Amino acid sequence: MKKILIILMFFAMPAFAAPLQVVATLPSLAAIAKEVGGPLVQVEALTSPHQDPHYADAKPSLIVTLNRADAVIVNGLELEVGWLPPLLQQARNGKIQKGTPGYIDAAASVQLLGVPKGVIDRAMGDVHPGGNPHFLIDPRAGARVAVAIGQGLGRLDAAHAATYQQNAAALAQKLTALAKAETARFAQLPPARRTLVAYHDSLLYLVDWLGLRQIATLEPRPGIAPNPQHVAEVLQQMKAAAVPVIAQEAFYPENTSKTVSKLAGAKLVSLPGGARFPTETYEDHVRGLAQALYSALAP
Amino acid sequence: MIRFPTVLKHCGFALAWLAATWPRAGHAQTTDDTAALAAALAADVSATAAPEPAGGGDSPLMPSIALIFDGAAAWFSDRDNLQSGGHDPTRTGFNLQQLELHMESNVDPYVHFAANIVWGPDGVELEEGFAQTTALPGNLQVKAGKFLNPFGRLNPTHPHAWHFVDAPFALTKLLGGDGSRGLGTECAWLAPLPWFFEARVAVSHPDPDTGRSFVDAAAAKPVHALGDMVWTGNLRQFFALNDDWSLYWGLSTQQGSSPQAFAGSTQIYATDLYLRWRPVANTDRSALSLQAEALWRRRDWLGRQMDDWAGYAQLVAEINPRWEAGVRAELGSGVQDDPLDKAWVGQRQRHTLQATYYPSHFFRLRLQGSVDLPSWRPDPVYAGMLAIETVIGAHGAHSY
Repeated sequence: MKKILIILMFFAMPAFAAPLQVVATLPSLAAIAKEVGGPLVQVEALTSPHQDPHYADAKPSLIVTLNRADAVIVNGLELEVGWLPPLLQQARNGKIQKGTPGYIDAAASVQLLGVPKGVIDRAMGDVHPGGNPHFLIDPRAGARVAVAIGQGLGRLDAAHAATYQQNAAALAQKLTALAKAETARFAQLPPARRTLVAYHDSLLYLVDWLGLRQIATLEPRPGIAPNPQHVAEVLQQMKAAAVPVIAQEAFYPENTSKTVSKLAGAKLVSLPGGARFPTETYEDHVRGLAQALYSALAP
Repeated sequence: MIRFPTVLKHCGFALAWLAATWPRAGHAQTTDDTAALAAALAADVSATAAPEPAGGGDSPLMPSIALIFDGAAAWFSDRDNLQSGGHDPTRTGFNLQQLELHMESNVDPYVHFAANIVWGPDGVELEEGFAQTTALPGNLQVKAGKFLNPFGRLNPTHPHAWHFVDAPFALTKLLGGDGSRGLGTECAWLAPLPWFFEARVAVSHPDPDTGRSFVDAAAAKPVHALGDMVWTGNLRQFFALNDDWSLYWGLSTQQGSSPQAFAGSTQIYATDLYLRWRPVANTDRSALSLQAEALWRRRDWLGRQMDDWAGYAQLVAEINPRWEAGVRAELGSGVQDDPLDKAWVGQRQRHTLQATYYPSHFFRLRLQGSVDLPSWRPDPVYAGMLAIETVIGAHGAHSY
């Protein structure tokens, strides 16, 4: 009897002691989840900051990662629509399918921008019908996502719900303070310097947070590569408004941006595509982002 | 007062819940507890709202619908060309390759359903229509319905995912012009290993159009036993060599009875390889992929054994989001007096080049040229094709 009990305990132990296996689609989500979960969670990111999250490869190795997950955290708003659905479907993991507590959709907690009004059509480019999905570039959104992840993890591991929520609240507070400080710092810049041109329409939340004005994007429509006619128009606009900066995530091509920035006398700022998980925190990532932009915009 | 349909509904929910929460390893639960919980849940069910649709742009309760059109203008140096794929351009002039209506959606929390209805040169056909589980225990996944068999790399895919306008003859000759598919069921198991290792077994009803190596249209035999079905086995392994390099390797087999022979069988064995280099930090999303498949077949035919083989290798360069180029080499053998391909008595080679332009992610123009060298004919067959493809609607993502 004792032997049986010991054997039973041996099998039961890992179920209680093992950290929650959390998989995040993006490195910034992974960094937030790690900070919220601490030693209670083991976090893996499916993509790296070098990758354009619209176009990751649906590698079968990711099926194995998702197969073992207790929770998956997605950006949502169809950002991962090109590769995540078949992986989830083949993961054979009922715990992380849409509609279960193990499927945590970050977008559901964020105040969305760029929600298309009226009927949308592919002639408008790759418009995301639910709203602009690039909100992790804004720590105010990051704060909301941290809280949502805290609640989500608490639902999965009720014994530690309070810890997750405390960690999430602490992180949200730090991020909100950072957001406010940066907004105030950018407000000091002369209004003429507070403008930029983006490559893809992925800086909407950043522009909103830092009180900037986005004059144009180099892509004529989202997801459609720049063409000469459109680029010439953007160049005219940049010269007319003396736009000081072209900003883009490092995973977008730079050839056009380099040429245009040279012709327009603007600086080209390459922003990191996400937190360098696991070595960098989300907070440091966002702070670095703001700093890179600030030093380019400052006269 | 209790209304009978309500009781039925509650029982249904309770059963579904039981199936989904059946105790698994590490989640010991007594049957009493389970029954009590089930009863409580069933009582609550009428008060429970439907789960909120999780973020994303899916319209509520609408399946994802996509319409894919493939057509080509083609030229052949010889009217009697050897094109044998169901979606291949076959004549000089304009060719409809297919109009594919794809629909898919989750049926409920346990099952996903997908269908492909194809308008081809010969009319409308249900190409695929199958349900697939999403949450079975034991790393299992079961499919049932009509679907492309899990044989090799190209067979389970649709023309939209191909890198050449036509299908390699290795597949059209050994598996059939429409690929190997049929009505049946499939079980796929993901091994609990640190790397991706998947085993699949499928059994499908023999059909002359989609299993030519196993059943003949003129002499279709009724099925008496499981051995009269077409059995497909597939092992796949994936190795993420590093961030940039990956290798996907598969072994496949198909077994069934031989067409016409009363006691004989047909066996097909194949291996496929997909080596992909995609530098993860490349901003042009450039990639280089080498894909190869080799198939070997043995048939018993009226007391005689016939062996033949065929294969192809292709190298595709995704230069940037707008441009792609590829080269493909094909080689295959033939046998004397083959009742399926009477003229095909010797070796055949075909070499193909393609260049593709993508104005957007959903529209492509593909220019392709090939030279076909059947050893049994005096002259090569040259072909040139310009194919277009458009995709509208919510087209799902591709598997690797």
